[in-house]
Amino acid sequence: MGEAQKGLLSVIEKLKGSTEQEVRIVLLGLDNAGKTTLLKSLASEDVNTITPTQGFNIKSVASHGMKLNVWDIGGQRKIRPFWKKYLENTDLLIYVIDSADKKRFEETGLELSELIDEENLKGVPVLIFANKQDLATASPASEIAEGLNLHTYRDREWQIQACSAVSGEGVQDGMNWICNNIVNKKK
Amino acid sequence: MAEDDSEWVVESIVGYLGSPEWVIPVTDFMENKCTVFDDEDENKLSYTEIHQQYKKLVEKLLENYMQEVGINEQQFLDACTSPFAKSKTLQSVFQPVLATDDFQMFRSLMVQKNMELQLQALRVIKERNGALPECLTDGVDVMSELQQQEMKILQEVLKKSKEEYDEEMSRRLLLEEEVGSTSSICSNKPLAKSGEARNTISAPSQQSSTAKTNGNPVIKEEKMAAQGGGDAKSAAKSLSKLIPECGSNSVESRVLPAVRAPVKSSEPSVSSSPLTKEQSSSSQTAAETWLEEAHREAGFSKPYTELSASQQEQLQQRAAYLRQQRDKLHALKKEQQKTKQTATSEEAPSNPAPAPTTTPEAVGQPQRNGACTPPLPAPPPPQAQHSANSSKQKEISAEERKKLQKRKHLADKLKEEVIKK
Repeated sequence: MGEAQKGLLSVIEKLKGSTEQEVRIVLLGLDNAGKTTLLKSLASEDVNTITPTQGFNIKSVASHGMKLNVWDIGGQRKIRPFWKKYLENTDLLIYVIDSADKKRFEETGLELSELIDEENLKGVPVLIFANKQDLATASPASEIAEGLNLHTYRDREWQIQACSAVSGEGVQDGMNWICNNIVNKKK
Repeated sequence: MAEDDSEWVVESIVGYLGSPEWVIPVTDFMENKCTVFDDEDENKLSYTEIHQQYKKLVEKLLENYMQEVGINEQQFLDACTSPFAKSKTLQSVFQPVLATDDFQMFRSLMVQKNMELQLQALRVIKERNGALPECLTDGVDVMSELQQQEMKILQEVLKKSKEEYDEEMSRRLLLEEEVGSTSSICSNKPLAKSGEARNTISAPSQQSSTAKTNGNPVIKEEKMAAQGGGDAKSAAKSLSKLIPECGSNSVESRVLPAVRAPVKSSEPSVSSSPLTKEQSSSSQTAAETWLEEAHREAGFSKPYTELSASQQEQLQQRAAYLRQQRDKLHALKKEQQKTKQTATSEEAPSNPAPAPTTTPEAVGQPQRNGACTPPLPAPPPPQAQHSANSSKQKEISAEERKKLQKRKHLADKLKEEVIKK
């Protein structure tokens, strides 16, 4: 009966037994970074009617023979404390940054480093989207990577990808990285 | 675990998931917590908290159950993944369990529960108050739009049947004057036309149709202003009142006042007062009483000679005018009838020959007014007519078919409404 300690819910998890591999992805970042726009663009939905997220959105996207369940949680300051409730069993973290919002680079860096330290995200690969590259004032991805000290991450896979959620540019490259990475990791 | 082992475990689990020990706490939980779950695309943060609570509840319940029955988690898992448990029927039983691990499934269960409760509440409010308060009835716009559409159709039908009634009227007047010699075109053609429809008509319904034909002129007369009689106006008024008021019911009522009308020509004073009285009663019962009265009055209204001199004169005038109309329409009608006759000629011979003065119209009526007749509350016969009509529709010319289809559509709507009541 040693299994009993593992918890019944882990058993229920196995019950679903779908043939498809399911991946849980959490999409985080400051408010107005473009998380929901990115989510909708991933799901090929209209991105013109998006309002600030007060709660969270979930979309399931089929990609590379996997089912990606993407959770987009609101980024407003008052919601951020709730982030950690959504980190359990996460396979991958997507962190979105508004590349044109230089004033808040520091703030977004702090939030990211807090997430990296979360127990539930230990070793979880992270993809950073340097969003809003369609804006003239956007900083290049390399600059942002430097500011975030990404090169100091030793305990996990990471990647920074320049993109524009509105135009869709760069989004697919990021997804490709995710799929390759998950496949590698799950092997 | 052995195969046969898992089977009884599955059965036991399914039994438990249908037992009060499971159903009551889970349902209680859902009913208590579902109110925040709406159909919005975005999820509220509170959903997650509720989902966590739900997980704990299910975990506790299942653990207790497994301890009681004496199975471990591996057995539980084996049982639940066995093909037996994967059947469609059992999948829905396991849904509340799987919802612990699947937020989307949990959410949809809760949204569904919330909707069920809301509908229940609406039903209760309706039962208590008889109707929903205005603040709870959205979709009013849609309704009025529908009603408007219905009204348009009604008006169309009204116009059409008016035209046809006029035709009938012209013929009818002619018949009244040349009582004996009506046998010619008028009586033969409708006869053939009516075909099987007439077979199914019982005597009373024939009478009512006759009454109707008698009454039709009222509408036309109003237009002509030849009559100008107060009773005719009141009849027309009651018509126009009824129509906007009761949507699709108005077909019944519209036809019925017309039925009522013949009285006007013979006994003017009687006709107007019952009409106004009967307006207030519910349309269905009123319709029935009208019909009954019409049956009686159809007899009274006939004797042309009993009318007063002035009325006779008026009738003469009308007849003259209508004869003109008839001549115009006759040519048109002839063509239409020819097509119909060819279609239904096989059935015609088998029909018993009716009294020439009344039946031609009575018989022709249901055919032409097709869908108008069935909604009349007059017992079964009209229904039979209706079916006969619909079976014939295919054989009738495209133009006629369009007309009939419109009416049939209307009649179906009416039927629906009457049945609902």
